[in-house]
Amino acid sequence: MKKTVRNIYLGLILFLMYAPIVTLIVLSFNASKSRAKWGGFTLKWYASLFQDKAIMTALYNTLIIALLSAVLATVVGTAASIGINAMKGRSKTIMMGITNIPILNSEIVTGISLMLLFIAFRVTLGFSTILLAHITFCIPYVILSVMPKLKQTSKSTYEAAQDLGAGPVSAFFKVVFPDILPGIVSGFLMAFTMSLDDFIITHFTKGPGVDTLSTKIYAEVRKGIRPEMYALSTLLFVSVLVLMILVNTSPKEPKDRKTVSKRKSLQRGLRLAIPLLLVAVLAGGGAFYYFAGAKDAGSEKLIVYNWGDYVDPKTIELFEEETGISVTYEEYETNEIMYPKILSGAIAYDVVCPSDYMIQRMIENDLLAKLNLDNIPNIKNMDSIYMEQSRSFDPDNAYSVPYCVGTVGILYNKTMVHEPVDSWDILWDSKYADSILMQDSVRDAFAVALKRRGYSLNSSKVDQLIQAKDDLIAQKPLVQAYVVDQVRDKMIGNEAALGVIYSGEAGYTKRENPNLEYVIPKEGSNVWIDSWVIPKNAKNKENAEKFINFMCRPDIALMNFEYLTYATPNKAARALIKDEETRNSKILFPNAEDLTNCETFQFLGDDVDSYYNELWNKVKSN
Amino acid sequence: MNHTLVNLIDISKSFGDQVILDELNLSIRENEFLTLLGPSGCGKTTTLRILGGFESPDSGKVIFDGKDITNLPPNKRNLNTVFQKYALFSHMSIEENIAFGLKISGKSKAYIHDKVKYALKLVNLDGYENRLPDSLSGGQQQRVAIARAIVNEPRLLLLDEPLGALDLKLRQDMQYELIRLKNELGITFIYVTHDQEEALTMSDTIVVMNQGYIQQMGSPEDIYNEPQNAFVADFIGESNILPGMMLEDKLVEILGAKFPCVDVGFGKNKPVDVVIRPEDVDLLAPEEGTIQGVVSHLIFKGVHYEMEVQANGFEWLVHSTDMFPVGQQVGIHVNPFDIQIMHKPESEDEEAIGINE
Amino acid sequence: MNKRKLLSGPYLIWSVAFILIPLAMIFYYGFTNSEGHFTFENVLAIGTVENFKALCLSLLLSLISTLICLILAYPLAMMLSNMKVNRTGFIVLLFILPMWMNFLLRTLAWQTLLEKNGVINQALGFFHLPSQQLINTPGAIVLGMVYNFLPFMVLPLYNVLSKIDKDVIFAARDLGATAAYTFRKIIFPLSMPGIISGITMVFVPSLTTFVISDLLGGSKILLIGNVIDRQFQQGSNWNVGSGLSLVLMVFIFISMLLTGKYDKNGEGGMF
Repeated sequence: MKKTVRNIYLGLILFLMYAPIVTLIVLSFNASKSRAKWGGFTLKWYASLFQDKAIMTALYNTLIIALLSAVLATVVGTAASIGINAMKGRSKTIMMGITNIPILNSEIVTGISLMLLFIAFRVTLGFSTILLAHITFCIPYVILSVMPKLKQTSKSTYEAAQDLGAGPVSAFFKVVFPDILPGIVSGFLMAFTMSLDDFIITHFTKGPGVDTLSTKIYAEVRKGIRPEMYALSTLLFVSVLVLMILVNTSPKEPKDRKTVSKRKSLQRGLRLAIPLLLVAVLAGGGAFYYFAGAKDAGSEKLIVYNWGDYVDPKTIELFEEETGISVTYEEYETNEIMYPKILSGAIAYDVVCPSDYMIQRMIENDLLAKLNLDNIPNIKNMDSIYMEQSRSFDPDNAYSVPYCVGTVGILYNKTMVHEPVDSWDILWDSKYADSILMQDSVRDAFAVALKRRGYSLNSSKVDQLIQAKDDLIAQKPLVQAYVVDQVRDKMIGNEAALGVIYSGEAGYTKRENPNLEYVIPKEGSNVWIDSWVIPKNAKNKENAEKFINFMCRPDIALMNFEYLTYATPNKAARALIKDEETRNSKILFPNAEDLTNCETFQFLGDDVDSYYNELWNKVKSN
Repeated sequence: MNHTLVNLIDISKSFGDQVILDELNLSIRENEFLTLLGPSGCGKTTTLRILGGFESPDSGKVIFDGKDITNLPPNKRNLNTVFQKYALFSHMSIEENIAFGLKISGKSKAYIHDKVKYALKLVNLDGYENRLPDSLSGGQQQRVAIARAIVNEPRLLLLDEPLGALDLKLRQDMQYELIRLKNELGITFIYVTHDQEEALTMSDTIVVMNQGYIQQMGSPEDIYNEPQNAFVADFIGESNILPGMMLEDKLVEILGAKFPCVDVGFGKNKPVDVVIRPEDVDLLAPEEGTIQGVVSHLIFKGVHYEMEVQANGFEWLVHSTDMFPVGQQVGIHVNPFDIQIMHKPESEDEEAIGINE
Repeated sequence: MNKRKLLSGPYLIWSVAFILIPLAMIFYYGFTNSEGHFTFENVLAIGTVENFKALCLSLLLSLISTLICLILAYPLAMMLSNMKVNRTGFIVLLFILPMWMNFLLRTLAWQTLLEKNGVINQALGFFHLPSQQLINTPGAIVLGMVYNFLPFMVLPLYNVLSKIDKDVIFAARDLGATAAYTFRKIIFPLSMPGIISGITMVFVPSLTTFVISDLLGGSKILLIGNVIDRQFQQGSNWNVGSGLSLVLMVFIFISMLLTGKYDKNGEGGMF
C-alpha cells in the first residue's frame, strides 16, 4: 500500500519533469513549422539540422565553452579548495563567502556586473568574454563539491605517504587525489551542466557573431523556434540518456566475480568513452572551424548588426562570394536593445538596420557616419515616396538607405470576429476579452492608444499620454498577452481573435491560416521604415557601403522580399515580383490615400522617452 | 529461577537470497545478562533488531512477557536499545537527549529533571546537561546513549556492540560499569558482541552463533571449558584442535598416542575432534610425557609464557608459568578431564548447524 | 602548510577580478547618475509604485514556488534516501537529466502544453471538461519556477537526508516516538541545513527570473527581474538597473546569512 502511494508520487513528479521534454521530442517530428499546429510526422528537421551552419556553430560553441570552462574551473577550483582547506579562521570564512557570491547571487546581477566590467575595461565582447564569465560561475561549483571530500580525507594518509618517501606533490597525487577524485568529477560534471544550460549570463556577456544554443534559442523565441532546434535537443537528450542508462545499469548484487569485473570494465570503458567522444566532437568542430576560418583568412571583413531573421541568408553568401568580404552577422530583438550597444562602442559594427525614430536619435547623438552615395549607385532603385518619408527622420537622406517598410495594423480571425474591423476601438471591446494580443514595446503600444483617440503617435503632451496610459490599463484585462513576433504563431494556432501586427507578417500568417485578415484602422497607424546606416566607429566603412549597395540590387531585394514577406521600398524589385496579386497587394504596398492618417515614429528626446517608459512600466505592473 | 521474559520462536529472516536466521529459538529469563556472541554475519545483530522492532522476521514469533509483539512498532515495545555508534541526536543537548523518551511518555517536568540528573550521575557524567553530543569523547557519548536508554526504565535493554568503538582501557572500565548498572537497576540485558573476552567477563549466559544458527548456549564457564564443537572451541579462547580416534569409552588416540579421558558414549573407533586448551597442556621431562616434542617458539606474555611445541607432526600451543627454552626436548601430558571430545561434523551444513542440535 | 595556501592564489586573483570588481562596478553605477554624480535616486527607484509592485509580486510568487518546491521535494528526497544505493544514483540522474535539454526550450514547451488550444486543454476537451485559462497567469509562472528549480531543492535535501544515520531514527522510535514525532523532532531539525540551502537555491533564481515570466506570463506580469532587464535591454538606463540590482542583493544577502547560520559545515550542498 505504502509502496503504491510512493510509486504513484514518484511517477507524478517524473511526469511533471518529463512532460515538456516529451513535448519537445514530439515537436521535433512535427512537419508544420508552427509550434501551435500538428502538420504530420516528418524527419526532415533532422536532415536539415546537419546542414544548418548557424545551429551547428552554436552547438559547437556551447560544447567548447562548457568543456573549456569546466576544465579550467576544475583545475583552478581544485587548487583553490586545497588552499582554502589549509587556511584557518577568518581568511577561510572570507574565501568561502566570496565563493558563495556567484552561486547565491542572482544570475542577472552576475551577468550584468560582468558586462559592466568588460565594457568598462574595453574588452571586446565575444567568445572570450563568455568563456571568462562561465569559468567565473563554474569555479564555485567545483570548490563546493571538492571541499567536503577534502574535509573527509584524513591528514594522516597524506603524512603516511610522505613518511614512506613520497614528495609533497607525488604524495598528493598518490594519496589525496584519489580520495577527492569523486568530488572533482562531480564538480566537473556540475560545472559542465551549468555552463551548458546557462542563458542569462551568456545573454549579457556575449558579443557579435558568437551564439550558444541558449542565446540562439532566445533570439528565436521572438520569431518562432526553428524546428531544427527541437531535433537537436532531442538528439542531445537521447544520447545523454542512453549513455546514463549504459553507465548505470548494473545487475543486482552480481554473484560471481567474472560478471562483476566484466561489468566494471565496461563501465570503465564507457567512462573513458565520454571524454574521448567529447574530444572527438571538439576536434571535429575545431577542424570545421579551421576550414571555415581558412576561407576567410586575409580577406576583407564586415560586421552586420540586424534585426532577428531579417535577411535571406543566401544573399549574405552571395555577397561574400561576389566581393570576397567575410561577413560577421549579429542580431538584435528591438531598437532599444541595439542602441546602448552602439552607444557604448564596445563593438564596432559596420552596418546596422534601425527603425526611423531610432535613426533620428542616433543622428542627433552623432553616432552615425554620412554615407558616400557615390558608392551606393543602386539607391536609384528606391521608390521616391519612401525617400521622401525618410526625410522625417533623416532630413537630407544623408545617413540612411531604406531596406524594409510597412504599416502596423490589426490581424483578426474571421471565424472569431463576425463584424467589420476598421477601428482600434475593437481592441477595447470586452467581447474579445482574453483574445487580444498587444505588441510588447512602448512606442507600438502607445501608438495604438494615441491613434485611437485621434492624437499623434509622436505626442509628447502629458494629458494625452496619461489618457493613453489609462486606456492601456483599462485594456489590460482584455489582453491575453503582450508579445513581439509571437503574434504570428499564436494567431496561426487560433490562440487569439485579434492581434496588433506588422504588415509584413500578414502574408505569411494568411498562408498558414486562411481565416486571418489584416487591416489598417481608419484612425491611422504607424508607417515604419527600417534603413541601413553606418555607425561612426565602423572600421570597414567602404565594405559597409558595398553591402548597402548590394542590398539595393533589384534581384537581391527581391530575394529578401520573398524570404521576409516584408514590403520592399525597392521599385525595381517590386516590378520583378511574378505573382500579380502580391505585386498589387494593398497591404504590402498601400496607396498614398491609405496612409493619410499614418505617421512614422520620431525620436522625442531622452526625457519624453523615459516618460513613455515610466508610463509603460505603470501599465505593465498594474 | 526467574520467569522467562522473552521467547523467540522459530524466527527466520533472509535478505534477498541470503539466509540470515533459520528457525532460531531462544528464551531469555528476567534479570539475565545474556550475550549473543559470534563473528560478523552470524545473525546476532539481526536477532537484536528483530527484538527491537527495526526488522520484522519472515516467519516466527517474538513473545515478550507472555504477549506476541512480533508486529508491534518499536515505539510500542517496553524495551530500549543502545546503538553501536550511539545514535545520539546531534541537534539536542545531552539533557534533551536523555529526556527524549520521558517527554514522549508525558512525565512531569520535575520528574524528568530529577530522572536526567540521576541517570547522568549513574553514568558518571554529572554536569554535562547542556553540552552537545559532538563535544563529548567517544566513551562519554556511549555513556549518554546508555543513560538515554535506561532512564525509561525498560524491562529489557538491548546493546548492540556498544563498546566496539572504544579503546581497551575504556572498554574494560565500561564493562564493569555495565555489570554494576545491571545489578543496580535489575534490568534484563541482551548484549551483542564479537569479542569473546567481553562476553566471558559480563554475561550470565552466552549464546554462541554462527551462520544463523545457535552453536551453543550456556554459562561462560560451560562455554569455555566444554565447547560442544570445534567452532565454539576455536571462537572462544585459544585452543589446540586435533583430529583423534575414540578407541573406546574414556580412551582416545591422538597423533598415534593413547590419552585417557573422561568422555563416554562415542562408540568404538570413531573419528572425533579433540580440544585441549593451551593452559591445560603440561610440559614435563621427555620421559614423563605421553608424547615427546621440541620447543620451537617462545614468547613472554607477562602472566605466562607462550610456547609452541612440535610433537608428532602437530604444533601444540602451550601456556605455562614455567619456561622451556627453544630447542629443548619436552614431554607432553594432559589430564583426562582437560580433554574435550567432540563429534566430527560430516558435512558443511552440519558444521554450520552445530552437531548438538 | 603555507605552500598549500598558495594554491588558492590563482582563484583569489580570479575572484577579485571577476567577482569583486564587477560587484563594485554595480555599486558604482547604482550610486551615480548618468553624469557620474553620486545619487541615491537609482536605489530609491524601488520605491516607485510600479517597481515596488513588481518587487512584491516577485517576492510573493517566488515564496509560493519555494514553498511548493519544498513540499514536493521533501517526500521525494525522503523516498530517494531510503532507496537502495544502486537505484538512487539512477533516479537522482533522472532529475539532472532534463537540464541537458535547454532551459529555454523546456520552458517554451510548457507554452505548448498550457495554451488555450494547448495539449492540456485539448485533453480536457476530449473528456468534455471546460477548458481552463492556464497560460499568462501567475499560476503558470509559479509552475515554470517550480519546474525549473525543483532539482535545486531535491538535491540538497536528498544529500542531507541520506547522511542521517538510520540508527538515529531507530533510536527515536525505540525511545517511544511515533513516526510523526520522529519526523518532527529528529528528521526535520537534522535536515535543516538542506532545507535552508534548498530554499536559497530556489528562492534566489525565482526572485530574479525574467525569462519565465516572459514566456509563461505573456509579458502581462512584470516581475522585478523584468524591470531590471528592461532597464538594461530596453530603457537603456544602466544606472537605475544597477540600483535595482543592489536592492535585490539585499534579499540575496539575507539568504546568505541564513545559510551561513544553519549550514556551518556545508552539509546542505548540492553534491
